[in-house]
Amino acid sequence: MSFWFWRGLQKGVQTTRYPRAYENAAGVTPGRPVATQFSSAHEAALAAQVCPVGAITPQDNSARVNLALCIHCQRCHFGDEPVMEWRSDYEWTRLPDTQQRYEPLPKAYKRSLHIIVVDAGDCGACLHEVKQLNTPFYNMHRLGMFFTATPRAADLLVVVGPVSENMRVPLLKTYEAMPNPKKVLAVGTCAISGGIFGQSFVSAGGVSSILPVDLEIPGDPAPPLAILHGLLVVTGRKAPVGHESASERSS
Amino acid sequence: MMVTPAPLTAPKKLEIEEIAAAVRDRFGPAVLVSRGQGGVVLSVSLFEPTTHPPISKMLFWDMGCSFGGIVVEELKGKWRLSYLFLSAGCGWVEVLVEAPSTVSALPSISSEVHAADWHEREAEDLFGLRFEGHPRLGDFILHDQMWPEGVAPHRKLHRELIDVHQEHFRRRPNSEWRPLLVVQDPGAFAMPVGPIYEGGLGQSVHFLLETVGEDVVRAVPRLFYNFRAVEKIAEEQPVSRVLLLAERFAATSSFAHSLAFCLAVERISSTQVPARAKNLRILLSELERLRHHAGAITGICESTALSVATSQAAIIEERLLRACCQFTGHRYLFGLNTPGGLRRDFSAESCTELLKAIDRAVADLHALEDGLYFTSSFLDRLEDVGIVDPDKARDLNFVGPVGRASACSGDLRRDCPYEGYETYQFEVPREIEGDGYARLRILFQEAYQSARLVQQATHRLEPGQISAPCEPLSGGVALGWAEAPIGPALHWLRLDASGLVERYRVMTASFNNWLGFRVAVEDFAFQDFPIILATFGLSPTECDR
Amino acid sequence: MNEWIGRVLVLFFAFCGCGLVLSAVMRGRYAMRVLVGFSAVCSALMMIAAAFALAGGHTFSVSLWRLDGFGSLSIRLDMLSAIFLFAAGLVYFPASIFVKNFVESRFQGQYPLSRYGVMHFALMASVVLILTAGDAPLFLISWECMSILCYLLVNYERPRNGDGRAAYIMLAMSEAGFLAVVVAFAVAARMSPDWSFVALAAATAHLSSGAIWGIFVLGFFGFGVKAGLVPVNFWLPRCYTATPAVFIPVLAGVTLNVGFYGILRLNADIARPHGIGPGLLALFVGSVTALVGILYATTENDMKTMLAHSSIENAGIIVAGIGASLVFRASGYGLAAAIALTAALYHMVNHSVYKTLLFQGAGEIEAATGTRDMDSLGGLARLLPALSVVFLVGCLSIAAIPPFNGFVSEWLTLQSLLRSASLVSPAIKILFAICGAALALTAALAVTCFVKVYAMSFLGIRRGEWKLRAPKRIRQPHFALVYLASACFLLGILPTYIIPVLNRAVEPLAGASATASLVPPFFTATPQNQQLPAAFLHDFHNLGAQVGGSVLPGKGMVVLVRGAEQNPVIFAMSTFYGFVALALFVIVTWLIVARLTRRHEVVRNELWAGGIPRLLPEMSYTATGFSNPVRVVFQAIFRPDIVEDTRKTVAVHFRTAILRRREEEHLVDRLFFHPVGDAIGWFARLLARMHHGKLNAYVAYTLCFFLLILLLYRLS
Repeated sequence: MSFWFWRGLQKGVQTTRYPRAYENAAGVTPGRPVATQFSSAHEAALAAQVCPVGAITPQDNSARVNLALCIHCQRCHFGDEPVMEWRSDYEWTRLPDTQQRYEPLPKAYKRSLHIIVVDAGDCGACLHEVKQLNTPFYNMHRLGMFFTATPRAADLLVVVGPVSENMRVPLLKTYEAMPNPKKVLAVGTCAISGGIFGQSFVSAGGVSSILPVDLEIPGDPAPPLAILHGLLVVTGRKAPVGHESASERSS
Repeated sequence: MMVTPAPLTAPKKLEIEEIAAAVRDRFGPAVLVSRGQGGVVLSVSLFEPTTHPPISKMLFWDMGCSFGGIVVEELKGKWRLSYLFLSAGCGWVEVLVEAPSTVSALPSISSEVHAADWHEREAEDLFGLRFEGHPRLGDFILHDQMWPEGVAPHRKLHRELIDVHQEHFRRRPNSEWRPLLVVQDPGAFAMPVGPIYEGGLGQSVHFLLETVGEDVVRAVPRLFYNFRAVEKIAEEQPVSRVLLLAERFAATSSFAHSLAFCLAVERISSTQVPARAKNLRILLSELERLRHHAGAITGICESTALSVATSQAAIIEERLLRACCQFTGHRYLFGLNTPGGLRRDFSAESCTELLKAIDRAVADLHALEDGLYFTSSFLDRLEDVGIVDPDKARDLNFVGPVGRASACSGDLRRDCPYEGYETYQFEVPREIEGDGYARLRILFQEAYQSARLVQQATHRLEPGQISAPCEPLSGGVALGWAEAPIGPALHWLRLDASGLVERYRVMTASFNNWLGFRVAVEDFAFQDFPIILATFGLSPTECDR
Repeated sequence: MNEWIGRVLVLFFAFCGCGLVLSAVMRGRYAMRVLVGFSAVCSALMMIAAAFALAGGHTFSVSLWRLDGFGSLSIRLDMLSAIFLFAAGLVYFPASIFVKNFVESRFQGQYPLSRYGVMHFALMASVVLILTAGDAPLFLISWECMSILCYLLVNYERPRNGDGRAAYIMLAMSEAGFLAVVVAFAVAARMSPDWSFVALAAATAHLSSGAIWGIFVLGFFGFGVKAGLVPVNFWLPRCYTATPAVFIPVLAGVTLNVGFYGILRLNADIARPHGIGPGLLALFVGSVTALVGILYATTENDMKTMLAHSSIENAGIIVAGIGASLVFRASGYGLAAAIALTAALYHMVNHSVYKTLLFQGAGEIEAATGTRDMDSLGGLARLLPALSVVFLVGCLSIAAIPPFNGFVSEWLTLQSLLRSASLVSPAIKILFAICGAALALTAALAVTCFVKVYAMSFLGIRRGEWKLRAPKRIRQPHFALVYLASACFLLGILPTYIIPVLNRAVEPLAGASATASLVPPFFTATPQNQQLPAAFLHDFHNLGAQVGGSVLPGKGMVVLVRGAEQNPVIFAMSTFYGFVALALFVIVTWLIVARLTRRHEVVRNELWAGGIPRLLPEMSYTATGFSNPVRVVFQAIFRPDIVEDTRKTVAVHFRTAILRRREEEHLVDRLFFHPVGDAIGWFARLLARMHHGKLNAYVAYTLCFFLLILLLYRLS
């Protein structure tokens, strides 16, 4: 079927050069709110009240952001109320609050990582973004990362969703079926804190109440490049955000 | 070779008065026919619940209505069930059944209207209402293997369930449980698929494919692995928060769902949405539909393992995602809708950029389509595979692109227009074969129509307001609807006097279509199963809420 | 040597007689030991006698009594008889040892052991008499004894095992076959002074080809009843299923071979065909038998019935080899005939060994779990580890996987069919090609069948509700099974020692010796050796064919088949070197892996099934599901009637149960048994019209018949 071969060649190379070069194309990330200075404490308080999930906290004249709670509702991005500053980046993989440092997987996994994904109540967006990693634009195969069909061959467990009750047992079984060494990556705000679904009789409010989480990627959804950054952190090729600048982490 | 769609035969257009008269004639004193409220045009209240099955049968079969869903409400001292039917061109007809709280069972209509099967099962699982004559109640949302008997979490008296410390709901699986297997053939077995399959890249759903070896004889999907009780946690919350829930329970159709929710709120508060906001809403809905269909086409190519075509389709989809992000600030169009209009405006330059991106996407889609129809090995896997007969499609009330591929050409944009769709030029494609190839053709056709609608919307943008004030909200009841990419999305809302949500009911297209999915899979070989699954493009998480 | 053979045979009959008497008389716990002991000694004596005969190379012959009009009854142990006698002894040995397991433990006192013992020794004696008979009357008398004893032994556990109908069909067919064989011998003896085999062989040389055809057809299908050939084998699956586990190894391993012996003796030795027609018929019937047998074996779930169909398949392969040999012999290609006949005899020996192993293994499984249905077995490898290893050896052997014995004989059979290139007529070459393709298809289906058997019974998880019985047998494998598995292995890796032994029987029948061409003397060949060209020897020595020459006796470990002059190709096969290479590979790999993973920790965890809480037995593949593709592809042969009963509930769109039943009529039943049965019934009903009970008419019949006889007497 040489027809598709030529068709593929015609399209050329679409793959991003990240992590060799920082990817700046428009639309790769929704961005995120960052700590903003306001002219008065009153304005900072007003800005903080805009956030429906309490991700923004006022501190004197500035408003701080806990990205682990941000659900990207964009109410602090545009609207009538005072808005926060937004930055169009995507490297925001962080350590969980309970951990101080991150121990990456051994050196043998640096360029060969096998991943199993579990959809534990996800809305579909985070899972869709994870799937985009296999597409020509991001192509995680060139970095030595692969999705496996069975946890027996997986090194990393990627969980999306706030862990609905019906998926609690399958998630636990997947984790138990993985051989050591293994890591758990929670992708998306729902997987970190439960997102808008929070904790309820059918939602565990985040993976950390079920499994030991090694790294977290906030975002609703986390864009593919943020997830790619997170995978690079898992293998030790990049450093997590919390590790670098402790001031950004929430109180 | 592209098949020209059959000439559009719209479903029977009846006037409200005709329906009202027919119902009155046949059922006389047992019913009260009146004008509906909150988006419903006709309301038929039943005095005698036993008249329910014949009325539903008449509406569904004789009058050609399609079935929307059942809204179960637990009011003070009584149950209020509202069965929603859509008469194309006329509007929503609701059949209202009220029964005291002490009632033990209500008559089931699922023997007449098979599409109500799962709605009644959901009501039984979540509210504990029994439906007499229903063939299979139980083990639906609350999987019997995990949940104890007698739990009805949506009852008002379980309000404290939101509190996480109810440990007795976190159980270990029951080791005595056995699935209900239908095929009794010596040597029959049930192949389990999921909930984690495809490397976890598929949304969680579990199948038991009963077979004797080659063909799937019976396929039973077990859904609700992603059940997050959106309807329950929305209770006693302000509308602004429930809007966030509406956006986020099924993010790949998030704009359509948030639009349906906002329409319901606007109907309750009788807010007039400005024209610019309406046009922008149409633009964004169609943008979402175009992107969603590009994703569905990628899924079909991937399931047949045609790698280059998968990559080409994935490129189109990612470009559309980036165009969405560049235009609105979010790849999946979160945070745009608000009751009364939109939260932000868009400049003319950004509209021009968007149009350029859409033109490029349409050109790429045409090229991809030509290439796919030229590849006989690809078509072999889709043609005559996963066939759903038009009769069965009508019987099980298939909606959305899946229904349109089997001659069920319902479309809310045309049958029950909202936000000004009646003034737009577009076609609703229709095929009759009902196989995977027909569904693929429908996806391509709808994508082109969506691009056409985006262009029309862009050209109609007049300067103006983008939202009208909706606050303060007071009590009321309304139905909001929108045609999401998978099919109709219905959001039913009851607000109490202080403007908080008292009852929030979501009826999605995936829920409707999953019921009938097994019809397409049965009697086809195992190897066809993933392909049929991909051609349907259903979302378990949209069904689960 | 000859007198030793005589003494051993006398000793055999003595032990047999003693065993018979003692079994009839003794009671109590020593009865079983006597039975087992005497039977084992008898089978050892059988093997010793045969070994002496083969070593000596001369025919042993002794006359017994004289019968007027038939000549003298004599015992004659020639090379062909010796091969069959050895195979019979090889099977009787483990069958004797294994009796204990099946008779003693389960049916204490329910079925008297004395009855079994008497019939067992009587059958043993009659089988030996058949194999060593030197003339037709002794042969036929012992044949009839064997048939009746088989019938009685099959019905040994009758009230428990069914109504005995299956055994009755076997008896009826045996009698029909016997009648055909008697007529065949009678035709052969028309011109002969007496009924001894030597005289018959000399006399049939002068018979017309029509008479030879008649003898062939009658003898082939008459013996084919016992050998299990289509279309006279419809008794076999029914009967094997109903046979108790104690007797089935003998039935499947010994009496089946007796059928082949009869075919070879009558149709290849005594009444050798002049033309190629009979051989072609044998080849065709053999191929069809093999294909039908394996098709039904693959889709069958009851283990014993499946093994019965597999016996039919192997019988087909053996008879196809015999047929090819007859064709080559009649066309004048003695070497090709010898190769084909060697293949057939080798397969016969192999089949006895691994079929006995499989039947005994199946008996063990049934004793341990209470069920034979492969759909409900599963997971036995954990519960019965020793049995799983020996059963695996049996499955590998019958599926013709190297380095076991099935591979060698299948390879030789297919190679001999390839020699048809040297035949002249294109029509015959096409027929050989078709039959060769059918046999290749059979080999492939056999692999499918036995993968299914092993995987569905031993691997996976338990699917049925049975509980394991007899726990103390779990650890140690039974000596009989180990003995048979070792025999499978040795027969597989030492073909170059077996072939010269078989050649002794093949040479008189085929008219040429196969040893020199099949087993060239790589170990002893020097460049001066005239048999093989020097360049050829040089090449093979470079390939390592002489490795081991200093330690192993014999000619070499490589089996060679060379094409005809028009087709100068060489096919070489050495299971011995293959096994050595495989063993080295496995050991080296194991050492490397052990070294590389010495710091790894192995954790055992439960099965991964996609995240569901537990993998239930109804979620694992069944035997029916595994073989369903075969059933679907060959639907035209099976012609199943699928009756689907769906129970509907209140809702039309929701079914609570889908009941499907499959009813299948066996191909041979459909095409042969039932039509013939119906025809006979029709004819009988026609005749029944004569039996109306009126006395006057009967008197009239007598009168007419009397007049008819007078008329005939007058005319002749």
